[in-house]
Amino acid sequence: MNWKLPFDIPLVVPTMGLPGWFFDTLGIIVFVVHIAFIYTLIGASTASVLYNIFGVFKKSKTNNLLAYKMTNPTTISENMGALWGVAPLLVISVLYTGFFYTAILKVSPHILHIIYGNIFAFLLSYAYKFSWHSLHNHKGFHIAIGLVAVLTFYTLPPVFMSMSNLYLQPELFASVQNIWDIMLTPLTFFRLINFFLTAFAFTGIVMIYLGVKWVKAGGEETEVGRLAIDQGKKWFMWAAPVNIAVLPLVFFAFSPRISEAYIHTPFVFLPFAASAVLLILFFFLLKRFSNEEMSLSDATKAVVLMVVAVALMATARHGIRVVSFEEPLQLQAEATEKYMTDVIAEYKAYKEEMKNAPQVVLDPAVSLADSKGCLACHSVDVALVGPAYKEVAAKAESADILAASLKNGSTGKWGETPMPPQTLTDEETKTLIEWVLKQK
Amino acid sequence: MFDFPIFEMPTIGLRMLMAINAIIHVFVSHGGAVGGSVVLALAAWWTNKKGDLAGYETVYRLLMVFFIISTSVGALTGIGMWIHANIISPNAIGGLIRVFFWKWFIEWIVFNFEVILLLFWFMTWKPKATTAQGRASSVRFGIYYAVSSWITMLIITAILGFMLTPNFDGQPWIDPEVYPGTVNYNNALFNPTWFPGLMMRTFSSIAFAGALAILWTWLITSFSKDEEIRATKERMIKFFATIMMVTVPVAAAFGYYYLLQIPEAARAMIPTAMMTRAFADKMDLMYMIISGIGGAVVVTTIIAYFSPKRFPYIAATLMVAAFMLFWGFEERTREFIRKPYLIYNYMYANGIRVTDVPYLNKVGILKHAVFVDEDKKVLKEDKSNLIEVGHTIAQIECRACHTENGINGLKFLTKGWSEEAIRNRINNLPGAGTPYMPPFTGTEAEKDALAAYIASLNKRGEIK
Repeated sequence: MNWKLPFDIPLVVPTMGLPGWFFDTLGIIVFVVHIAFIYTLIGASTASVLYNIFGVFKKSKTNNLLAYKMTNPTTISENMGALWGVAPLLVISVLYTGFFYTAILKVSPHILHIIYGNIFAFLLSYAYKFSWHSLHNHKGFHIAIGLVAVLTFYTLPPVFMSMSNLYLQPELFASVQNIWDIMLTPLTFFRLINFFLTAFAFTGIVMIYLGVKWVKAGGEETEVGRLAIDQGKKWFMWAAPVNIAVLPLVFFAFSPRISEAYIHTPFVFLPFAASAVLLILFFFLLKRFSNEEMSLSDATKAVVLMVVAVALMATARHGIRVVSFEEPLQLQAEATEKYMTDVIAEYKAYKEEMKNAPQVVLDPAVSLADSKGCLACHSVDVALVGPAYKEVAAKAESADILAASLKNGSTGKWGETPMPPQTLTDEETKTLIEWVLKQK
Repeated sequence: MFDFPIFEMPTIGLRMLMAINAIIHVFVSHGGAVGGSVVLALAAWWTNKKGDLAGYETVYRLLMVFFIISTSVGALTGIGMWIHANIISPNAIGGLIRVFFWKWFIEWIVFNFEVILLLFWFMTWKPKATTAQGRASSVRFGIYYAVSSWITMLIITAILGFMLTPNFDGQPWIDPEVYPGTVNYNNALFNPTWFPGLMMRTFSSIAFAGALAILWTWLITSFSKDEEIRATKERMIKFFATIMMVTVPVAAAFGYYYLLQIPEAARAMIPTAMMTRAFADKMDLMYMIISGIGGAVVVTTIIAYFSPKRFPYIAATLMVAAFMLFWGFEERTREFIRKPYLIYNYMYANGIRVTDVPYLNKVGILKHAVFVDEDKKVLKEDKSNLIEVGHTIAQIECRACHTENGINGLKFLTKGWSEEAIRNRINNLPGAGTPYMPPFTGTEAEKDALAAYIASLNKRGEIK
């Protein structure tokens, strides 16, 4: 296979002597925390708009209250999700520097949408949350704000996932020219379906957990807690089964080199294990489907099972990295080694040459002209930006005129490009002009 | 040697793309987060101590504004600094991340404290505001938040100091004479500019946040339907103006102290850095601008302090605008005086490593440009693709600072120059005229191609 790969950064990876599995585990853990917040962000912001609409059409205060309460997990998860997104990127960009930067450059400038689009969505989601009471008589407008915020959040995963799918498949660096080349592929499609389904299933569990807490708090929150538990179960129970069908497909949509090698590793069992955990959780909830309330320990069990399923998916994804990067990382290391050996040999030879080079004694006037930047535009023999000093000397203007030109700048004498005024002492001006006039 | 795919930003250029993000980030992180946390924690403590519940409510509304701006615009442009650096100079950021990974990881952990404390302070304010005990606990969290954001800034300025003195200990591909591996981090951290720099940042951030707080207090109280909130305008503006009366002179004193500690050579470049090359020697103009900005801040502060009730909105805006100019200049200057290097003595501003230059001068800059098509990097026998090849070289070596035809455009800079003149200029880029430019790297043939390309920008097209 013909690879197009950048060299590695010729600096040692700062492992501090820690083993490779430490960084793999660190990467997986910080990614799971990040993605858990992002799932909650996508689901909770959707839920808030959805129950706001239900509240209007069903004229239900409970639905409206649930919608309002879901803006809190939205705020927390959008902040924590952004913050915890930094950590996995930090780990990835230090371990797989060349692949990560190549991918991010190939999908530029669109990748900046994850900054500016995100700011836009953040601000709208705050506008939605903090205008809740002042816009309660303008529900249509209010819901429209929330809807635009949610839809903007929905545009972020396709952009980010395009980058991540490209960096995971370095063989595509030669053929992918822009973001659409990678976004409009079956892999991105399957991974997006998997992402959104997991987000909705995950949010279902979050709603159950929050609902149990609200019921426990009692009072007017009991009703909304029950609604959250009921709806949370439904969210999970439609999203999870579809996800179980889609999930294993994702890992066969990578390029043939990766998918074929993946089958021969133990990682291939992980998507199925994740599906199995989702299935267990499905039956766990089915058994309690008609209960209005749930115990806190049952809700906690559901959260734990869901997190386990997400961690299994994340580890399965890590398997793709292991399989995909083995060959290119090695090729890259060899190419970098060769390149840097040549570079350092040439650099040493150059330094040696400089050391042995005879010292040139310059006319002090030449050094002065150089230090004042004259030689950027003038040379002795040929006209460059400004006239050659030979030509100036031949014109034989008086020293005063030349001094005035130096002091105030000059244009028109030798063409339209002006010479800017120079900052020189009288002594320096004199030295320079004497020298210039000698260059006949 | 640029072995990554090339990304160009037309018209505004990569520098401006980065600058937009960086300046927004500096405004929000200094004014909103660092200064804002201190000012609002003080205001919450003061109003609660005085039993001024309406004032306490005004502080909450201010906190809401600061919370919204710093968690959205501030946090994301912070991540944006990194993403922009990724696409502008992958070699530089890739090198820095190898050297500074653990320090950045620590910084990230500290950020967690800051964000969590802010979320907690803001989101529990309302439920806690009803009892005296709750308010006292809320004020405590505000103070924790202020301390944590100041510590974040402390760590970041320390890291900025480190970045000017990178440690390449134990690296195989480094010139041991340039980097002997005996970096003393204490010297790097406690260099003469560190303390005055940090103090200037701290106090001017608090002063800037005071100005922002005045601006928003004006808006919030003037348009409030609540009579009691409207009545807080005078005393809140007076309170924030008092903070400014203290911090503005302190910040100015440390700013002067800081300027004295900068090496002479770097100080001489400040006027160029602040404005453009045309102002290279106009020290007096620079002082005029600084006094103008400073004067605007001082005058508006005094008005706000002595006449908070009649303090006009336009003065509040002027106050904030003056601070924005100040931060803009400060950041531009700080970035500029590092040139022509990105990493001192290791990597030039265009991402080319110093060690690589002799080798690339021999084999050519384009030899290892993996992602460039063959017909754009290999000169044909008949030289028919000379200009295309030159264009590729410009994309690799000039892209970081110059555009073709927009900001700092090559076309504009070489208007009226002959190809010969351009070629000569390329020969002495880091000369005395432009000491901040890195040298041309590549073979003589490549220099011809680059000169031909730049000259072609000012030639008229033809109908074929």
